[in-house]
Amino acid sequence: MLLLLLLLRFSGAGVRMKGGLRLVVLLMLSVESSSLSPPGKPVLLGCRSPEKETFTCWWKPGLDGGLPTVHRLYYEREHLEGTHECPDYRSAGSNSCFFDKNHTYIWVDYHVMVEASNALGNVPSDPLKFDVMEIVRPYAPENVTLMVEEKQESPYLHIRWKHPSNTVSRSGWITIKYQLRVKQENSNDWKNYTSGTQMGFSLYSIHPGVVYEVQVRCTLDHSSWSEWSNTTFVKIPNCEFQRPFAPFVALQLVVKIVKRFLLPPVPGPKIRGVDVQLLKSGKSEDVLGALIVNQNFPPMVARKDQMEEYLIVSDGGEWLLPAPLKSQKKKKSSFIPAGFHLDSQCKESTPSQVQENKDEMKSSSNLEQKQEFSGINFAAADLQKGASENFMQRLPNSGYVDIQRQENIVEVDGILVDYSRVKEVNGDNVFILQKENVPLSLDVQRREESMSEDYSRVKEVNGDNVVLLNPHMTGLSKIGVCTDLSSDGYVDTIPAPSLI
Amino acid sequence: MAQRRTNGSKLLMTVLCVVAACRAVPVTDLLDRASQRSDRLHSLSTMLTQELKMPEMAPLCLTISAAFSVQVVTNSPSRLQDSHFPPIGRVIMPRPAMCHTSSLQTPNDKEQALQVSESDLLSLARSLLRAWVDPLLVLSSSANTLPHPAQNSISNKIQELQEHSKSLGDGLNVLSGKMGPAAQTMSLLPYRGGNDLGQDKISKLINFQFLLSCLRRDSHKIDSFLKVLRCRAARMQPEMC
Repeated sequence: MLLLLLLLRFSGAGVRMKGGLRLVVLLMLSVESSSLSPPGKPVLLGCRSPEKETFTCWWKPGLDGGLPTVHRLYYEREHLEGTHECPDYRSAGSNSCFFDKNHTYIWVDYHVMVEASNALGNVPSDPLKFDVMEIVRPYAPENVTLMVEEKQESPYLHIRWKHPSNTVSRSGWITIKYQLRVKQENSNDWKNYTSGTQMGFSLYSIHPGVVYEVQVRCTLDHSSWSEWSNTTFVKIPNCEFQRPFAPFVALQLVVKIVKRFLLPPVPGPKIRGVDVQLLKSGKSEDVLGALIVNQNFPPMVARKDQMEEYLIVSDGGEWLLPAPLKSQKKKKSSFIPAGFHLDSQCKESTPSQVQENKDEMKSSSNLEQKQEFSGINFAAADLQKGASENFMQRLPNSGYVDIQRQENIVEVDGILVDYSRVKEVNGDNVFILQKENVPLSLDVQRREESMSEDYSRVKEVNGDNVVLLNPHMTGLSKIGVCTDLSSDGYVDTIPAPSLI
Repeated sequence: MAQRRTNGSKLLMTVLCVVAACRAVPVTDLLDRASQRSDRLHSLSTMLTQELKMPEMAPLCLTISAAFSVQVVTNSPSRLQDSHFPPIGRVIMPRPAMCHTSSLQTPNDKEQALQVSESDLLSLARSLLRAWVDPLLVLSSSANTLPHPAQNSISNKIQELQEHSKSLGDGLNVLSGKMGPAAQTMSLLPYRGGNDLGQDKISKLINFQFLLSCLRRDSHKIDSFLKVLRCRAARMQPEMC
C-alpha cells in the first residue's frame, strides 16, 4: 500500500503519467484498502470572541478516509472582496482558526467554512454565518477571593474577583457585568446574585461553621454568559464570635428580667376623648364619631408662647429627629422633614388661601430638612411650648401621631396606624398616612397635593396618602401651616397659637 | 429706597445664579444616563432575538424547504453545538447586510471606534436611533398579531423598546445641544419596508426576525458608541469605563 501511495505522490508531483495509469493506481489503492476515501465532512463547531476584538473558530474533522487530510478554513466578509483563508491556524490550537485584531471586524457578517482535503478529494463543511457581536462570550472571571469579615459580631463574607484576563482595556469599548452564586457545601441549592459592574460583593446571610462555595461568571455587553469560575471554598469560623456573646447575653437577660418584673408597665397609647375601638372598626362614620367623642377641647386661645408646631415625618428606622427642632423656640413651625419637600407657599398662606392651596407643604424656613425617606410611616405632630419641648422622638416602624397639648401631653402611639387608614381627607385636618387603602374618610376638606414617587411631596390629600400638618388658628396665617383648623370639634392637634 | 433696590437686585442675582447652576447638568451625567438607557435597549433587543428563535420555527422551516427547496444556514451559529434548527430544512434568513441602516458608515472595530470624534459618535448614535422610530411602529403593530407562542412577551418588550428609544432620543438631543454643531448633524436612513411584515405566517415571522436582528446590531452600535463617549468624557471617573 505504501508503494502505491508513493506512486500516487509521484504522480501528483508532476511526473508525467497518463491519466489512465493514474486511474488504475487509484483503483488499485481503493481495492487494496477499502478504508481509503475522500475525507469525511468536517463540522464547524462554532466561533467565539472573548473580548470583542478577536475571535476563534473551531471545527471537528470528519473521518480522514485513511489519507493525510488537511483542513483549511475560508471566509468571506461583508464589505470585503473575495474569499480569504484563515490568517492563523496555530495560536488557538489544533483544528482552529484565530482571527487577530487586524482581521476582526464587528457589525459585519462573516461567512466561514472549513474544507477537508486529502488526495482523494475536498469536502466542504456547512458554512457558518455570523456577526462577531453574536459570538461574543468572555472568559470566566479570575482570582476569586473570599474573606470573612466581622462587623459588630455578625460575620459577613466579602467576595472579590478580577475581570477575565484578556479584558484589560479601559476605553469603554466593553462593559462587563458579573453574576455570582453561592451555596453551602453539602446542599445543591445555589443562590444567585447579580453584581453589575462591581468586582466585589458582600454576603451577609452566612452561618458560622459552614463551608460555602462560590462561583462567579460574567457577560460582555449582554452577550452569552461565560463559564463559571473555579469554585472557591471558604469556611466561616465560629469560634471567636462566641466569646463576646456570653456577657451580652447575660446582660440582655438581666435587662429583660428587670423590665418585666420590676419596672411598671408602659402605658398603651391613647388620645383622650377618642374611642380607639371605634376607630379600629374602620367605618368612616365611626371614625368621625370616634374623633369627635370628646367635645371638650380646650378653647383655642392664642398662645404667644407656643411657637413650635411641626410634624415630623419619616421612615421608621432611618429617621432621626434633628437637633434644630429642639432649638426651635419662637419660630415658625410646620417642620416636616424627610419625604416631604414642602415648599414655601404653604407656609405663607392665609387660611383662606390654604384651602385653595394645591401646592405641596413646605418646611419652615429654618427647618428645611430634606431627608430622603423611602416611605412615610408616621408623623408626629408636636406642639412645642415656648420653652418646653415635649415632643417625642420615636422611631418605630409603625406610624403614630404624637399630639401634645399644653399640659396634656398625650402621646398617641398607634393612632396613626389607625389614621393611616384614612383614605380621604375632606376637611381642614389631614393626617399623614401610610399608603394603605382604607375605607375611612373624614370630613376634611380635600387638598390636592402632588406627590413624587419617593414620597417627597404629598400628592393628594384625597388619596391613599394623606398628609397633614399643623392645624393652626384661623386668622393666624403665618405659621407655616398648610391647613385651617376649624374649631368645630375636630381633633385639634395644636391649639393654634397666634404667632408669626 | 435705594437700600431696598440693592437688596432686590442681590436677591435676583442669587436666584439667577442658583437657577443657572441647577440647570447645568454635567455632560458626564447625561452620558451616563444615556448609556444606561442604551444598555437597556440592547438588552431588550438581544432578548427579543433569542425569544424569537425557537424550535417553533422548525416545522415552518420544513414547510419552506419543501416549498422552495433552498439550501440554508443555521440561525444560531454562535453557540458551540447549539442548534435550534433541525439539520433538515433550514431557511435562508435575510442577513443584516440588507438592513435599512446598513448604508451608514460606522466604525467596525475598536481602533476605528476610538478614533472617531465625540460629535461624530454622538451623531452616529442619534442617526441610528432615529432610523428606528418608524420600524419600531411597524414591529409593534405586527407584534400584536404575531403567530408565535411568546407573542405577549414579545409585544411587551417591543413596547418597552419604544419607550426607552423615545426617551433616549430626547436625551441625546439635549446632549447634542451641549456638544456643538457637529454633533447636531444627522444622517437620514429611511425605512422603506412598508407597514406590514407580510401576508402569511411564514413571511411575517421571517421578516420580524430579520428586523429584530437589524435592531440588535444597531442597538449594539448605539450602546457601544455611547459607552465609548461616556468613558472619554469622564476622565476623572475611571468607573465610567
